[in-house]
Amino acid sequence: MEQPTNLWRDAWKRLRRNKLALAGLAVVAFLVFVAAFGPWLAPHDYLSQNLDLRSVPPQAAHWFGTDDLGRDVLSRLIYGARTAFLVAVAVTLIAVGIGVILGAIAGFYGGTFDRFVMWFTDMTMSVPQLLLVVVINASLKQPISTWMETQYLASLNPIWRNTMLADFVLVFGSMALISWPPYARLVRAQVLSIRSRPYVTAARALGLTNRIILARYVLPNAMGPLVVAVSAGLGTAMVLESAFSFLGVGVTPPTPSWGNMISDGLRVWTNSPHLLVAPAAVLAVVTVAFNFLGDGLNDALNPKGQK
Amino acid sequence: MKDGMQPGLTRRGALRLGLGSVVAVAAFGPGAHIAMAQEGQVLKAISPAFSQDWSPLRGGGVPYRWNSVWNGSAMYFNDKGEIQPYVLTEWTPSADFTSWTLKVNPAAKFADGSAITAADVKGSWELSAMPATKNQRVDQVLAGVAGYAAVKDGTATDISGIVVTDDATLTVTLSGPDPIFFQRLANHIAPIVKVSVARGADGNEVPDWFLGANGATSGPFMMEAADLDTGLITWVPNPNFFGEAPKLARIELTSVEDNVTATQMLKSGEFQAHTELVTSTMIQDLGADFAAGPTIPTSQHFWFNTTRAPMDDPKVREALILAIDRDGLIKASFPDGPHQKTDTVMNSVPGEEDAAFVPYPHDPAKAKELLAASSYGGPEKLPKLMFVGISSPANEAAAQYIAEQWRQNLGITAVDMKPQQDQYAGPDQNAVQIFRDDVGTRVPDGASYLAGSIASTSGNAQGKMGGYKNDKVDALIAEALTKPADDPARVALAQEAQRLFRDDFCFIPWYKQTMSRWANANVAGMEKNLDWQIVAPWAITIA
Amino acid sequence: MLTYILRRLLLWVPSVLLVMLAVYALAFYGAGDPIKLIFLRAPGDVAYDPVKIEAIRDQAGLNRPFLVQFASYVGNLVQGNFGNSLTSGRSVWAMIKAAAPVSFTLGVTAILLTAVIAIPLGMVAGLKQNSRTDYVILGTAVALWAIPAYVAGPLLMVLLLMVLPGEAVPYGWGGLFSVKLILPLIVLSFQPIALILRQTRAAVIEVMTEDYVRTARAKGVPELVVALRHILRPVLTPVVTQLGLIMITIVNGAMFVELVFGLPGLGRLTVSALTNSDFPVILAITFIGSFLVMASNLLVDLLYPLLDPRASDVKGGR
Repeated sequence: MEQPTNLWRDAWKRLRRNKLALAGLAVVAFLVFVAAFGPWLAPHDYLSQNLDLRSVPPQAAHWFGTDDLGRDVLSRLIYGARTAFLVAVAVTLIAVGIGVILGAIAGFYGGTFDRFVMWFTDMTMSVPQLLLVVVINASLKQPISTWMETQYLASLNPIWRNTMLADFVLVFGSMALISWPPYARLVRAQVLSIRSRPYVTAARALGLTNRIILARYVLPNAMGPLVVAVSAGLGTAMVLESAFSFLGVGVTPPTPSWGNMISDGLRVWTNSPHLLVAPAAVLAVVTVAFNFLGDGLNDALNPKGQK
Repeated sequence: MKDGMQPGLTRRGALRLGLGSVVAVAAFGPGAHIAMAQEGQVLKAISPAFSQDWSPLRGGGVPYRWNSVWNGSAMYFNDKGEIQPYVLTEWTPSADFTSWTLKVNPAAKFADGSAITAADVKGSWELSAMPATKNQRVDQVLAGVAGYAAVKDGTATDISGIVVTDDATLTVTLSGPDPIFFQRLANHIAPIVKVSVARGADGNEVPDWFLGANGATSGPFMMEAADLDTGLITWVPNPNFFGEAPKLARIELTSVEDNVTATQMLKSGEFQAHTELVTSTMIQDLGADFAAGPTIPTSQHFWFNTTRAPMDDPKVREALILAIDRDGLIKASFPDGPHQKTDTVMNSVPGEEDAAFVPYPHDPAKAKELLAASSYGGPEKLPKLMFVGISSPANEAAAQYIAEQWRQNLGITAVDMKPQQDQYAGPDQNAVQIFRDDVGTRVPDGASYLAGSIASTSGNAQGKMGGYKNDKVDALIAEALTKPADDPARVALAQEAQRLFRDDFCFIPWYKQTMSRWANANVAGMEKNLDWQIVAPWAITIA
Repeated sequence: MLTYILRRLLLWVPSVLLVMLAVYALAFYGAGDPIKLIFLRAPGDVAYDPVKIEAIRDQAGLNRPFLVQFASYVGNLVQGNFGNSLTSGRSVWAMIKAAAPVSFTLGVTAILLTAVIAIPLGMVAGLKQNSRTDYVILGTAVALWAIPAYVAGPLLMVLLLMVLPGEAVPYGWGGLFSVKLILPLIVLSFQPIALILRQTRAAVIEVMTEDYVRTARAKGVPELVVALRHILRPVLTPVVTQLGLIMITIVNGAMFVELVFGLPGLGRLTVSALTNSDFPVILAITFIGSFLVMASNLLVDLLYPLLDPRASDVKGGR
């Protein structure tokens, strides 16, 4: 059995050998960089329109061309990176947090708590996701943004005018609250399978407390599949965001989001393919990167994966 | 699942593939070039929505745009805006224009061969007026008729002002003089249907009476089948049609919601017509012929709700209007047409040209001064501006263009836009200030146009403009409505009302609508009128 | 076993009621008034008359208090009556009955397709970890995962039209054995295939390091036999656990696929009900969606002990 302290160092060693994972890591790091420094990187104002340069294909002044209002696509993609990154991380973090805690405890302790958690998980899972998000969006978004507007007029503090904040709290909050069940079920299943393995039985025989067994032996061993799920989850969250924007319940325009750009691009792509290809390709590359990184992490973190 | 719902299917039955043979994408190829075997011409058209309610009495939606294909109306306008007899052949007013005597065409028949009587006309109108029928526009036809209000409110089933004198004659009593009442009947808002089939004992519509072949309608075609689950509607010629015999053998309407797909289907010739295709690249994709058509008395504008902050301040309203370059607005939304920029509320009616009307100028400097001089003192303290009705790509382009003009010229950054107009019915109905919507009329008459858009009694003024009321405007419109159609005073009074309205700064004028054919060049006879109907569906042919 | 299934069903009843109450409340208080929508959404010169709209609402029973409406809805539901659509007046049950087989056919076929393609490929990739084969399989899977169904759908469709000029657009429903189903099926299976393939691969890599597999390999048991005898079963465990997730992926994907390809299924019905605030239809779809996911979870829990005997001791505890 590995010592947890060595685990991460060894994992990093193994990860460095995996070229695909490193490439994924590089893309993800670049995404974080762009998301953080977007306003300084963008060549144009993402809102300014030029009706004489509508839907032009990529060229020197506009590397990714312009959209149907003559706005620079590259600048909008760069600003969209912020949206995408925040969405992915926030949704996944909340979902995984809830899922791991509930799943691990339920799987390890069993009994009434397990039954309740599983009932709750089943209930949450049985809600058609898109339906719930659309309904939540339609019913709660407006009261919240009205409330924020009231706050702004009272304080004149521009933070209340940040429409992303309202989108965030609501759409992505609700997205997170419905995407935790898969993580919970996954973790619970892993824990169930691990807790009857010899080393856990042995640890129990040695008189170690449940909490220590759970934290030291069971959870780290359940990590592999979870990491795969999380890395896929990050990509999924981005795709989900674009799906919601496609249905008109995602980020509010004119805030640039890749999803909004894709759904706009889908309407004109036979005439201006770059308007679909640019955001879809960026979204695809980033999603793929998260997945490669996740797979690499999985191979690296799997304590018995050494050959 | 029903099979054979599309004619191509049986043909392709030979190509049916087993479950596992998904690999056989290649098998698309052989299916491609099997010749069309058809007896007579079939018009294949696309509907952009998956409509489940095909009653001809709704007065709106996708089904409404196909009403003239399978329903007869009292009268209709041809593409030149001239009134034509149809089920009714004569309409005679009393000297004071408060009562009208109408004569039913003695040859008029329903598809089942039975004669159309005056009682059917009265019953069809009553049925359209019943609240449960949910007709969206019946007010435009019957609002002036004595006794209409009681039926509309659900307290009566009989319109007392309509009296059947004999099988071929009815008299309509109005609650006030209306010299152009006859023009209000010339549309398909409340078409003539067979009342004994369509109306139940309680006066309400019989559920689903209109589906399938039932003979209770009176247009050149009759519904053959309606598969509401798959969204396919078919019509065949009505053998008992009392007008010119229809030339097409069949009309098929298929639901295709995605506009890019629909465009491809039209391009490939698989389909020849569309119900209402609105894309920014329509002319580029399908040619100017496809989009061609007359301008109709309908126009699109952005309406301000004058009761909500900051639109309660006329200076803010003026600033918001003057900040916009409206040439740019039309360029951003319809660069290739077919719609044209407008400065006025009323369009495409006699009297549209008004030399004394001053269009709103594009004057960013003055706009800035006005905003600074307003009670809000500048952009910072302005409440967020909210648009609703931003539901199509063109709407979105226009709204985003406006928002950007405000940002650059006035420094306003807090602008929000919502696709659905239902936000108007939702919890924020007290916050939205800008409503994108069209206004218009079914009669070529400026006074009626304004009565339906800026008079304080109109839905537009009450709902979208938040109870806009200018007594002088109201008085002028009311007076204009009493003048005979050929009296120059009727137009002059309407123009004066429009000039007064202009100075209240309540709207951003956008465009006047072109009623496109939405049909490929090889289809003849798809021209539409100001009622959005195909004028002469019996004359449609495919070259 | 039978009592276990019955108990699960009993547990499902309160949860589905709770979910429906929540959805109904959100829709009722926030999503808009279906009757006003009929008049507001229509373009232009519409007679928007508050008096008339109130008369319609009264007749439709929409002016009663929220709880009364919900209770009467549930009361009808118990008698098997889903009510009538507010916008079209059709029986909701008739609408569901027509739409469900389309979605069901699509979904089940997609799951079968997914299993047939993803599990073998995932095993191959896992057994040949870090080889060229592995990279190709994994790379394809990941790329498929990254393309949303609503992008892949129209792209494939229009590309097909360009490659095969003169071909009719594969749009609409032609039954299970129609060529029209191929494209939607492929698009719908993209994401589940990627998901299962990666799960399978990860599980294989993990199982390969287990002692009993090492022993078997050391004893010189042929690779294929090892794979089938010792690896397949443990590998299926996490895969089956993900069945619920796959169901959700497919249900969500179906919404887009049905929209894009014009398939008259539940997904398309959902979107139109949502845009029209058609409460009875929204509720019926919630009910059915909830039932489906519950059923698939139940199935997972029943299959689970069969696949992983070590987990069987907990069954009694659930």
